[in-house]
Amino acid sequence: MSFKRIFKQWRVWILIVCLFISYFSINYQFSNQGVIINGIEYNSTAARAGITNPTPDIKPTEREHILKVNSQGITTIDEFTNAIANIPVNTTFDITTNKRAYGLLKENAAIGITLANAPSSNLRKGIDLQGGTRVLLKPVTPITNDQTIDLMATMENRLNTYGLSDLTIRSASDLSGEKYVIVEIAGATKDEVKELVAGQGKFEAKIGNETVFEGGKKDITRVCKNDGTCSRVSTCGASTGGTSCRFEFQITLSPESAAHQAAVTQTLNIQSEPSGNRVLEKPLDLYLDGKLVSSLQIAADLKGQKATSILISGSGQGPTQKEAVQAAIAEMNKLQTILITGSLPTKLEIVKIDSISPSLGEQFVKNAIFIGLISLIGVAIVVYLRYRTLKIVIPMIITVSSEIFLVLGLAAMTKYNLDLASIAGIIASVGTGVDDQIVIMDELLFGEKTTSSTSIKQKVKKAFFVILAAYFVTVAAMLPLLGAGAGILKGFGLTTIAGVTIGVFITRPAYGAIARAWMEE
Amino acid sequence: MLKERVEVVFRKHYKWIMFIPVIFLILSLGIIINHTVKTGDLFEKDVSLKGGVSATVYTQKAIPEEQIKNAIKVDATVQKLEDFTTGKQIGFLVAVSEINADQLQQILEQQLGEKLTDKNYSVEETGPKLGQSFYKQLLQAVFLAFVLMSITVAITFRTFIPSIAVIEAAFTDIVIPLAILILFNIKVSSAGIVAFLLVIGYSVDTDILLTTWAIRKREHPLFDRMWHSMKTGLTMTLCAMVVMMIGLVFSTSGVIKEMFFIIFLALITDIFSTYLTNAGILMWYCEKKGIK
Repeated sequence: MSFKRIFKQWRVWILIVCLFISYFSINYQFSNQGVIINGIEYNSTAARAGITNPTPDIKPTEREHILKVNSQGITTIDEFTNAIANIPVNTTFDITTNKRAYGLLKENAAIGITLANAPSSNLRKGIDLQGGTRVLLKPVTPITNDQTIDLMATMENRLNTYGLSDLTIRSASDLSGEKYVIVEIAGATKDEVKELVAGQGKFEAKIGNETVFEGGKKDITRVCKNDGTCSRVSTCGASTGGTSCRFEFQITLSPESAAHQAAVTQTLNIQSEPSGNRVLEKPLDLYLDGKLVSSLQIAADLKGQKATSILISGSGQGPTQKEAVQAAIAEMNKLQTILITGSLPTKLEIVKIDSISPSLGEQFVKNAIFIGLISLIGVAIVVYLRYRTLKIVIPMIITVSSEIFLVLGLAAMTKYNLDLASIAGIIASVGTGVDDQIVIMDELLFGEKTTSSTSIKQKVKKAFFVILAAYFVTVAAMLPLLGAGAGILKGFGLTTIAGVTIGVFITRPAYGAIARAWMEE
Repeated sequence: MLKERVEVVFRKHYKWIMFIPVIFLILSLGIIINHTVKTGDLFEKDVSLKGGVSATVYTQKAIPEEQIKNAIKVDATVQKLEDFTTGKQIGFLVAVSEINADQLQQILEQQLGEKLTDKNYSVEETGPKLGQSFYKQLLQAVFLAFVLMSITVAITFRTFIPSIAVIEAAFTDIVIPLAILILFNIKVSSAGIVAFLLVIGYSVDTDILLTTWAIRKREHPLFDRMWHSMKTGLTMTLCAMVVMMIGLVFSTSGVIKEMFFIIFLALITDIFSTYLTNAGILMWYCEKKGIK
C-alpha cells in the first residue's frame, strides 16, 4: 500500500488533525502527578490563608497541585496528612502549590483541605464511574427559569459551604415540561447530602407566634463556623439508646433584626425557673423547614435589649460517644451551612437518589475498556474472515479506534461527564462504526475490478448515499431521548449522536479516501 | 453454487417466504396485546420504571440467591455478578419495589453479617411517580423515534412500497424481541427501552442498503445486486452481534448486559425481517415495475 498516495488525501489530514486535537484535549498524564486540592472548607484555616475551592469548569489536569508543605515535597495524600500532623498547633507553616505559596497558622488538627489524587486525564467521570451520589429533585410547585437559576446557585453555595466541591448541578426538563434539578456529588454518601439538597432550608426564629428573624444574609450577618472559639461540641451525656452530644455556635444578627427582637422581648414577662434562673416567659424557638430544631430560654436581663449575638444550640445522637460527637458535628455543620446560604426559592422533592460505590465505579471503567478491546478484536476477526486480507482489516480497525478516541476527545473538550450510558453508547459504536466501512468496501469490490479514478470516486459516492441515509435515521431515533427521562438518559443520546456524526463526517471520509487510494493501485 | 440455488428457490417461492417473519410478527403482537390487557403494561417493568430500589453489593461471600430472596420477604430479583475471566463472584444485584433503601440495606447487612458502606455498596432509589413518568416518556420517545425514522426513510426513497417495506422491517425488529422478553418473563428497565431506540437506528441500515441496491442501481441483474447487498448486510450484522455477545458475556454491568441482550435479539430478528420479508416485497415490487 502506498502511504504517499494516502497522505495526499486532504480527508486523511482532517482525521489526523482531529486526532491531535483530541489527544491534547484529553491530555493523558503518563506519570503520577501527585495530589490536587479537591475542596476547601468554609472559613477553615486553609480558606483564611486564601486557598480557594476549584471552580467546576477548570480542566481536571489543570487543577491546583500541592507541591510542598514547608520544605517537604508531597506526592501522595498520606505524605500530606503526615506532614500536617507533624506540625505543632499554633505554629505557622507554608503550603506551596503549582500556583503560589500560602502561609498558614495551624489553629487545630484539621486545616480544612480535602485532597484527591491528581486525575490522569481531562476526561470527566460521572458518578457512575467514580462513585458518589446523584439526586434528582423536582420542585413541589412550578418555578420560573430565574428561580431555577437562583435555586442552583444557592444549592451549589450550600454544598460548597458544607465542604463538598466536586459536584455538578444542572437543570433538565422532560417531554411533558416538568422541571428537574440533577445534583451529582463525587465522594459523598447519600445520608450526608439528602437533607442538604432536599431541604428548602427555611430557617425561622420565633418567640411565641412572632417571627423575629430568618435565615440568610438579610437578618444574619455572620455565622461562626470552623472556629473553635465560637463554634463547638460542648457536652455529652447518656440518652435513650446511647449518647447525646450538644453543639453550640454563635450567630450575629443585623441591627434591624436585633431591634425587632428587642421590641418583642420588651412585651414579655419575667419568670423564675425551678433552678432559680430568671428567664422570659416565652423561649426563642428555632424552626428549620417548619420543624422545631431548638428552643432557647432567654435570660431575664435580655428583656428589651438589642442583642446582636445569639448562641444557637442543638444536639446529635449516637450509640457511642465518638459517634455522638460526629453526629453533633455533622448536625452543626448542616445547620451552619443552611444559615449562611439561606433558603431555596421553593420546596423540592427527591424523586430519585442513587449512591454509587467508588470501587464499583472503578470496576466498571476497567471492564468497559476490556470489553472495548475484545470487541475490536472480535470485529477484526469477522472482517478478516470475510475479506481475507489485512489490507482491509487494519484500516478498518484504525478507523474504528480513531472514532472512539475522537468521541472521548470531544467529551473532554465539552467538559462532559462520562457515565455508564455513554460507555454503552461507545461500545455499541464499535459494532456499528465498522458497518459503514463494510458498505464502502463492498461497493468498491462489486462488479468488474476497476482502477479508474472516476469510477472509484463514483462508487464511494454511492456508498455514501446509504451511509448518510443510515446516519440520519440513527440521529432521528436518538433525538427524542434528549428530551425524555428527566435528563438522566440524555448522555446516551448525546454520545451516540456525537459518535455517528464524527464517524460520518470525519473518520469515514478518511477511510473512503484510504480505500480509494488502495483501489487505484 | 449456493447463490444460484437460492435464486431458484427464492424467485419461485418468495411470495410465501416473505410471510414467515410476518407470522412471527403477528404472534408476537398477540403476546404483547395479551400482556397489556392482563397487566396494563406493555411489558414487565423493573424498578427503574415502576419505582423501587436497585442495589449492588460488592462481596465475595457466596450466599444462595434464594436465601436473600426469602429474607427480603416481598417480591425481589436477585442476580449474581461474576468476573468472567476468573469465574469468581464479585457481588450481586438486588431489585425490589415494596421496601425502601434503608430497609433493604438492613436486611442485606443481616444476611451478609457485614456493614455495607459506600466502599462495597451502590444503591439507586427511584420514586414511583418518576418511574411512571420515565415509562410513559420513554415509550413516547420510542414512538417519536419510529415516526422520525419513517419520515427519514420516506424522504430517502420517495417511493411508497419500498419505504413501507423498510418501516415494516424496523417494526418487526422491535416487536419480536419485545415478545421474547415477555415470554421469558424478563423485566425491562429504562436502559432497556433506550436499547429499543438503538434498534430503530441500527435495524434499518441493512434495509436501506438492500433497498438502495435493489431499486437504485441498474447495472447488474436484480438478484445479483440483492445477493451482494445481503453479503454486506450479513457481515455488518455479524460484526454487531459479535460485539453484543462480548458485552453480554464479559460485562459486569446489569445495564449494559440488558441493553446488549435486547439489541442482540433485534439483530437476529433483523436478518429474517430484512432478507425474507423486505427482500420479498422488493422482489415483487421490482417485478411489477419491470426493474431487472
